[in-house]
Amino acid sequence: MKRLLCGIGICLVVLALSSLTAVAGEKVDEVRIGIVVPLSGIGATVGTQMKTGATIAIEEINAKGGIKALGGAKLRLIAGDSQGKPDVGASETERLIQRENVHVMIGSYQSATTIVTTEVAERYKTPWVVLASVSDRITGRGFKYVFRPCNMAAYDANEQLQAIKHLTQEFGKGPKTYGLLVEGTEWGKSHAENVRRIAKEIGYDLVLDEAYPPGQADFSPQILKIRSKRPDFLIMAMYTPDHILFNKQQMEQRLDLAFGLHSVGSGAEDPAFYKALPVQAVEYMFVQEDFQIDITDVAPWTQAIDKKTREMLGYELNAYVAQGYSNAYIIADALERAGSADKDKIRDALAKTNITSGPALITGYQKIAFDATGQNVDSHGVISENLKGKRTTVWPVANRPKGIKPVWPIPAWKDR
Amino acid sequence: MDPIILGVAVVNGILLGGLYGAVALGLSLIFGVMRVINFAHGTFLMFGLFIPYWLWQLFGINPYVSVLVAAPILFAVGYGVQATIIAPLFKRERAMVLEPLSVLLLTAGVGLILDNLTLMAFGPNVRAVQVRFASTSLWIGETLSINVPRLIAFVASVAIAVALSLFLSRTDLGRSIRSTAQNRDAAALCGINVPQIYNITFGLGCAVLGIVGCVMVPFYYVSPTVGLAFGVKSFIIVVLGGIGSIPGSILGGLILGIVESITAQFVTATSAATFSFLIFILVLFFRPTGLMGLKV
Repeated sequence: MKRLLCGIGICLVVLALSSLTAVAGEKVDEVRIGIVVPLSGIGATVGTQMKTGATIAIEEINAKGGIKALGGAKLRLIAGDSQGKPDVGASETERLIQRENVHVMIGSYQSATTIVTTEVAERYKTPWVVLASVSDRITGRGFKYVFRPCNMAAYDANEQLQAIKHLTQEFGKGPKTYGLLVEGTEWGKSHAENVRRIAKEIGYDLVLDEAYPPGQADFSPQILKIRSKRPDFLIMAMYTPDHILFNKQQMEQRLDLAFGLHSVGSGAEDPAFYKALPVQAVEYMFVQEDFQIDITDVAPWTQAIDKKTREMLGYELNAYVAQGYSNAYIIADALERAGSADKDKIRDALAKTNITSGPALITGYQKIAFDATGQNVDSHGVISENLKGKRTTVWPVANRPKGIKPVWPIPAWKDR
Repeated sequence: MDPIILGVAVVNGILLGGLYGAVALGLSLIFGVMRVINFAHGTFLMFGLFIPYWLWQLFGINPYVSVLVAAPILFAVGYGVQATIIAPLFKRERAMVLEPLSVLLLTAGVGLILDNLTLMAFGPNVRAVQVRFASTSLWIGETLSINVPRLIAFVASVAIAVALSLFLSRTDLGRSIRSTAQNRDAAALCGINVPQIYNITFGLGCAVLGIVGCVMVPFYYVSPTVGLAFGVKSFIIVVLGGIGSIPGSILGGLILGIVESITAQFVTATSAATFSFLIFILVLFFRPTGLMGLKV
């Protein structure tokens, strides 16, 4: 017990000292980056992945001599746990800005939290680089200090349909009708709305518009319905359990769709999904991915980061690790150009960001540059097709690995 | 509507409904004998799914063989929960009918604790077994496919119900259980060890879920919250079919399965759920004891 108390005492002293030096160090010998993400509660796995990505990037930058424009200043990551709750996220943001004197911040995954945390940061004139929050509102409020390198919600539906349109042109064969099968809560319904709007512009006819309560015991009625309405392709938004069940049953019942299943991710981006299903159940399925899923094949330099991620987390590089990693490099790039750790100068440098190469593009974008609202208009996900059990990028063409030919239309079950 | 599509929908509904009925069997038995609404029912089903999953994952054992392990384990778990957690409540209220609310909260608490322990132990990941026969289907014509594991699950469900009925009507232990259900005090006067019968009944109700889990796992998934989808449905089925009635449970399951399957062909699935509850309300209204329930 004595030992424990002693240990706690030492920890407290160390903590006090470190915060003292932080306040004292006005001369720039380190730049403090605050990260507010869920490290416990709902979304803790994702928050940990983001923090891991940022940590890997910062270690790399520091090992290469820090920020050269600031005389080799080192970067330091200081984490706050939002617990996935907006109010906790706000108070953690306040703590990092007020107590830890962070210069710039990143976060916070759940859109509801990010909307609040960025508001706090805006009040303290602290620049914020958004991590994986897609709600349109985040960049739609006229804030000066908020920058979003990643997708907005409406991009997802657009990418799915643009990929279908592109494949139609590429192969000279394409669909006329489509169906929607989405989970019947906020995410699924808003996605369906976006799909309907864009599909109408392109000219696809909606023949099946189906929502279901999450946690289905059986998809036979829905599959039967798809069979009788015969859409050319199906757009799906499902969480993991339902997605697993649906994919199993469409395989058992040999559901043929000429132009395939198109999932907007979530369930189909969960590593557990692919572990739970045989290869045939996902073969030829298209998935809208939030980052280039086969990046290690296209950009071999990312293999080192993949390896590091496996060491730290026990599984492979994914969209969230990549975004944490990318955001740290975006900040490093701004610091080099700002030549100062002054928050307003960092903000101005971020606004002028124009990255077209380097580690920040691990997410698979061709470019990172922010428009007047702070949104990166060059952000995009990719559409992958499961080919021989591997998720392979097929759209946009600039991201497609060499020698890959998508399968379009999809062969019927009896020909597989 | 196309008669073929309608036919397929009915077949799908029957296959699913049989399974619903089997899941509800244990709940009905426990309620019928002990007047205990077991809110941890979904949790025990989750155990029934996890056991064959791990046996398959770790040792490659066929889920159908796992019945030999899962059913006894679930029996022991049910027996243990009743003997250690619920029995003290009965003792405290020996003279009176058991206060429904306190037992309800108790079983709900047991369910929450076990669910979260499972979550801590295995994480929130959704898992599934991959066995080759899981995707084999019988094809009748071009549109009607019957998934073999689902057919097996249906046959098993009916078999469990028949076996349970025979057990209750033909064996000494079964008769003891029924007499305890009819009149606890009279049964005790005849020399029946009532607490022991309660333990066995609770164990039996859970053992059924052990069997159901094993026949379900080839075509379903496993996660710590998997029981939720079946929990509410089981309550509807028990009330629909008649509390404590074994054939009623299967009948209630079939009705729910067929209604779900057919209405989903006309309206979207979120609205189709409304019809299940509508039937539930109608039955409560016109036949409060359920379709096959005894008139009290």
